Amino acid sequence: MKIKVCGLKHPENIEAVTALQPDYVGFIFYGKSPRYMAGLPVGALKTIPASIRKTGVFVNESAENIEKLIAEYGFDAIQLHGDESPEFCAKFKGKVTVIKAFGLNENFDFEQLKDYANNIDLFLFDTKTKEYGGSGKTFDWAILDQYKLDIPFFLSGGIGPENIAEVKNITHPQFYGVDLNSRFEIEPGLKNIEKLKDAFNIVKNKTQMKYGVNEQGYYGDFGGAYIPEMLYPNVEELRQQYLNIINDEGFKAEFDDLLKNYVGRPSPLYHAKRYSEKYGANIFFKREDLNHTGSHKINNAIGQILLAKRLGKKRIIAETGAGQHGVATATVCALMGIECVVYMGEIDMARQAPNVSRMKMLGAKVIPATSGSKTLKDATNEALRDWIGNPVDTHYIIGSVVGPYPYPDMVARFQSIISAETKKQLVEHTGSELPQYVLACVGGGSNAMGMFYHFLDDESVKLVAVEAAGKGVNSGESAATTALGNEGVLHGSRTILMQTEDGQVVEPYSISAGLDYPGIGPQHAHLFKSHRGEYVSITDDEALQAGLLCCQLEGIIPAIETAHALAQLEKMKFEANDNVVICISGRGDKDLDTYIKYFNY
Amino acid sequence: MNRLNKLFASKNNNLLSIYFTAGYPALNTTVDIAEALEKAGADFLEIGFPYSDPVADGPTIQHSSEVALENGMSLKVLFEELAELRSRVSIPILLMGYFNPIAQYGIERFCKKAAEVGVDGIIVPDLPIYEYENMYSSYFIDNGLSNIFLVTPQTSEERIRKIDDLSSSFIYLLSSSTITGYNLKLSDSVEDYYKRITAMKLNNPTVIGFGITDSSSFAKACNYANGAIIGSRFVKLLGEDGYIDKIDGFVKGIRP
Repeated sequence: MKIKVCGLKHPENIEAVTALQPDYVGFIFYGKSPRYMAGLPVGALKTIPASIRKTGVFVNESAENIEKLIAEYGFDAIQLHGDESPEFCAKFKGKVTVIKAFGLNENFDFEQLKDYANNIDLFLFDTKTKEYGGSGKTFDWAILDQYKLDIPFFLSGGIGPENIAEVKNITHPQFYGVDLNSRFEIEPGLKNIEKLKDAFNIVKNKTQMKYGVNEQGYYGDFGGAYIPEMLYPNVEELRQQYLNIINDEGFKAEFDDLLKNYVGRPSPLYHAKRYSEKYGANIFFKREDLNHTGSHKINNAIGQILLAKRLGKKRIIAETGAGQHGVATATVCALMGIECVVYMGEIDMARQAPNVSRMKMLGAKVIPATSGSKTLKDATNEALRDWIGNPVDTHYIIGSVVGPYPYPDMVARFQSIISAETKKQLVEHTGSELPQYVLACVGGGSNAMGMFYHFLDDESVKLVAVEAAGKGVNSGESAATTALGNEGVLHGSRTILMQTEDGQVVEPYSISAGLDYPGIGPQHAHLFKSHRGEYVSITDDEALQAGLLCCQLEGIIPAIETAHALAQLEKMKFEANDNVVICISGRGDKDLDTYIKYFNY
Repeated sequence: MNRLNKLFASKNNNLLSIYFTAGYPALNTTVDIAEALEKAGADFLEIGFPYSDPVADGPTIQHSSEVALENGMSLKVLFEELAELRSRVSIPILLMGYFNPIAQYGIERFCKKAAEVGVDGIIVPDLPIYEYENMYSSYFIDNGLSNIFLVTPQTSEERIRKIDDLSSSFIYLLSSSTITGYNLKLSDSVEDYYKRITAMKLNNPTVIGFGITDSSSFAKACNYANGAIIGSRFVKLLGEDGYIDKIDGFVKGIRP
């Protein structure tokens, strides 16, 4: 839901309002309004970030004047509040976003809107009054049901702190956002920032209130940024900028374009018919394995490289375990022509030699991590040490929903495309956007968080996260973090990790290098502790059998990571009508050696 | 007023502090090394307790931590060794280490135990200001322990002021944004940074650490702060045979 704050006229107040990141801000050019912005210097609008659309509000103003004011103030949108005709509106269509306002009451004739449909971008529905402009009163929102056009609309008129929550119950498909004005003021034209802040929290956090991150970077008891002072400036810069950057329209357009044309999104939601027969439910595969570079990791790498560019960074560092994230990072660095350094445990480099060569071919420098256990956690330590020594020009692309805040939230947002697409695709397949079950494998947990993200508040959807049990949870060689770990701090966040009684991190084991991590992301720790998600584990043997089954029933060779999620199907009981989505996080080409050795092909 | 406050009240320049990792090169050496350092003239000490993933440390201290863990060092073992600390050593002692081992031991229990064996202050590089202030500061204060914060050349003035308010004995200035064990290069920008800190007229004394390796870098650091800390270079000495007899010469070599 978009938010527009209208009727601004004081420079300092404008700055405070834009800091809340509304989607639109409105300035009223109507002499009879107490919020008339006469005399506001042109410069006062210059500092407003490009992500916020500056809107000029006019009542029966001449086209010449409107054009002049657009040029002068740099408006991105105009809102016409008088008796402007469809032809009048058409003059501006395509140049700026055109919003046409109408006052509604129970006798409103919705037919009259048809002539505007091709000449404007948005409607704004206010309460009908004798005067032009807002009334500060609500109308009966039920009459919105009579609006059948496909032009989105803003809702205006009397929305205040006490009824803002009710707005969220409006389910009209064209409901675009709310227009906030007089009920959030200290005096006409001077907005009450505290009241607006509360309203923004209610509206914007709609899907993320319960399981999302708070301002300090915590998910319930987990998260935060437990980092030495040397890393503080780097992480603080990200914390301050990441939301502004990723909500910017230009960023979104570039991100969406690359996901579509470079990565090949949307990835299909495939109805796996033979799996469905075998398990007695409708099984769907979300095909992240079909992405460029062969896994979901590229979604995050693209997001972060675009972010790094906007932060003016000249050098990228990353850690990698199996090499999938390292390859994704090397790929996007090649794409953008930015220097790339990947840290990889010395032991992992030997185990995953083809990926090391891939990264080198893509132009990355691969540095072996020779400290500690010489695997993923040590590669992460080495990358953090590099970042400490290069605080100004380097961005660290973390590959999972781990690390200090804002990484877990940032990576989850980049991966959330997985569940956003799934919801739309499920409607096509099943008529409903909600399945009964969603399954994904969890190492640090980035594909799982992307797969769960837009289902978190749909509590009817059961979320199943599958960890690697290795040779068995109690074998001493396992990576089943929630089964074996307890609360502590790892790589900058409070989470659940495998550790000794003395707080030393335990080296995990799994046949799948991507799940071979001693912790999980803090949001997963929160979903586990709050019982929103069910966390289970699958052994090496079970995973490999499930991987082979997938080859033979569906003609898809899954990554061994993914095979853990598939193996969990064997342990579940379904109703015939259940819809089940599994994230096929990656393809199994990189694991062929392991499969071949295990099955003697 | 703990021993640290008394020290800074009585002496405000050329203070020499030495860091070493407990359990390295062997168990049951902590108090011996501390005693030898006091005799050699060190003004206060930092005793590190080892962690498996020391992100802020370079190869020397990483290695000492690994060996210490292999030797069986833990907080429990360290507190047992420190039981006789105050019968043999009288200079101020700080414990330094990462947050996770403290969290597992129990933060309140850790603070109580540290005070009980005669520790004066704590340095936890990855315990952030927000968490310290809102969750844990009472445990430190109730047990008379100073919490020491780090400041780097990139730390903003506003944040340094906040750190000054929260500090009760001294502030640890990092010579540059780096992990431990690298040589200090006194470039113009580093000098500007020290001058900037001096000009802020902080309430707390300052001590410079990271990259101090010899008498010349020690003397330079003392131009801008009340003292300086040597870590990696001393830990290297502990790897040599007969290290205990070399401690006196080492300390006198730093501050003749």
